[in-house]
Amino acid sequence: MSEFDIKYIVESLPYIAKGIELTIFISIISSILAFAIGITIAFLRRTDIKPMTKLMALFVELTRNTPLLIQLYIYYKGLPSIGLNLSPIACGIISLSIYTGVFISEVFRAGINSIAHEQYQAARGLGLSDFQTFRLIIFPQALRIIIPPLGSQFINLIKNSSLVSFIAVTDLFYVIYKGAVDDFMFFEMFITGALIYMALTGIVALLTNIIEQNLKISGKAGSI
Amino acid sequence: MYWNDIFENFDFLMSGLVVTIQLALLAVIGSLLCGIVFGVLRHSKIPVISFLAGAYIEFTRSIPLILFIVFIHFGFLPLILGEASTFFQSACVALIAFTSAYVAEIVRSGLNSIDKGHIEAAKSLGLNWFDRMTCVILPIALTRMTPALVSQFISLIKDTSLASTIGLIEFTRSGEIIYERTYHELEILIFIALTYFAICYSLSLLSKKLESKPYINKDSENLKQLKELA
Repeated sequence: MSEFDIKYIVESLPYIAKGIELTIFISIISSILAFAIGITIAFLRRTDIKPMTKLMALFVELTRNTPLLIQLYIYYKGLPSIGLNLSPIACGIISLSIYTGVFISEVFRAGINSIAHEQYQAARGLGLSDFQTFRLIIFPQALRIIIPPLGSQFINLIKNSSLVSFIAVTDLFYVIYKGAVDDFMFFEMFITGALIYMALTGIVALLTNIIEQNLKISGKAGSI
Repeated sequence: MYWNDIFENFDFLMSGLVVTIQLALLAVIGSLLCGIVFGVLRHSKIPVISFLAGAYIEFTRSIPLILFIVFIHFGFLPLILGEASTFFQSACVALIAFTSAYVAEIVRSGLNSIDKGHIEAAKSLGLNWFDRMTCVILPIALTRMTPALVSQFISLIKDTSLASTIGLIEFTRSGEIIYERTYHELEILIFIALTYFAICYSLSLLSKKLESKPYINKDSENLKQLKELA
């Protein structure tokens, strides 16, 4: 190992900044979509329509138990062979949000199940519809409990977003990898990349903590 | 759809699957051992040791696995060994280093869940720290942690697919080699996805079974072992 080359890192900062930008962009869009997908699946799995709940359960298990890399490849390399061409970034966002959304739906399900059943019965007894009960009674209470595991899913999403570099998206990991392999700056780029990913995930962890503290009802213990 | 590729190259795909399974098994064993050590160190009362273990765990948990694999393969292992490492070695070391941090966190939470009475009882029987750990605390903690550990190892199996990106010809890469030649990507990828699903889903069913099992019997077994020891 040659000596640590700080100058190289400084010189490649503009490229790294572009990579960070793209990683943050993909992460934010995917987070929002994943959250929406997660809620939708969790709600659909609670409905009384048997085929729908079965289908959703199958979809969840299929997505959870296959590697994200394979799912990325299916969207990027597989779909064109049936005539569906998507841009690499779109493929990245779709697969990341579906993959994370499924995990989020499981988190939601655990949260919803932890709400006492009487709450549901009381809400129905007051004449609220199924959807209203979910939206006004169950969901707000569940959301409070699941904030820590939800935060760790978003952290996982940021880390998983590095995989989009294998379908030709020039995100942060791609820039780091190129710099390391093309210019033989392994340790410089490793440290830089690790620090940036630590900062990104650290920010999310911090936000999760702040939100958790703000939403906490004092005196009420409850987290999973 | 053209599914013949799969049957024509079945042997090649299966040889890839064997590499994946070997890698996963080695990584499971390695990360379980390293994870227990890190978890116990993290749980230790000596501030320096628990801080160092904590720093390693937090560092590893906050960076992507693929960064680990690439830099262990191109930077870290060649430096240690003095020569280029094989793809298999790099993937194995990276997976162990990465997963052991997650296992360590599971071990720590398992250790925290141990009733103080158990520890005090073991102390009053005159067991030293090592005996307390290996005969009393860890066996109870490990049974409690089993569901969490199994789901961690399921993600490890999924993570082995990342070894394909540095060039190890495991299951994913062997599929890639086939469709790069035949251009029937979707069929091969679906086959690979379903195979991973079959492996991981059966493990997750096993984990669910373990979750619903009461731990009382195991505890009384530990008591028996303890009696023999005392």
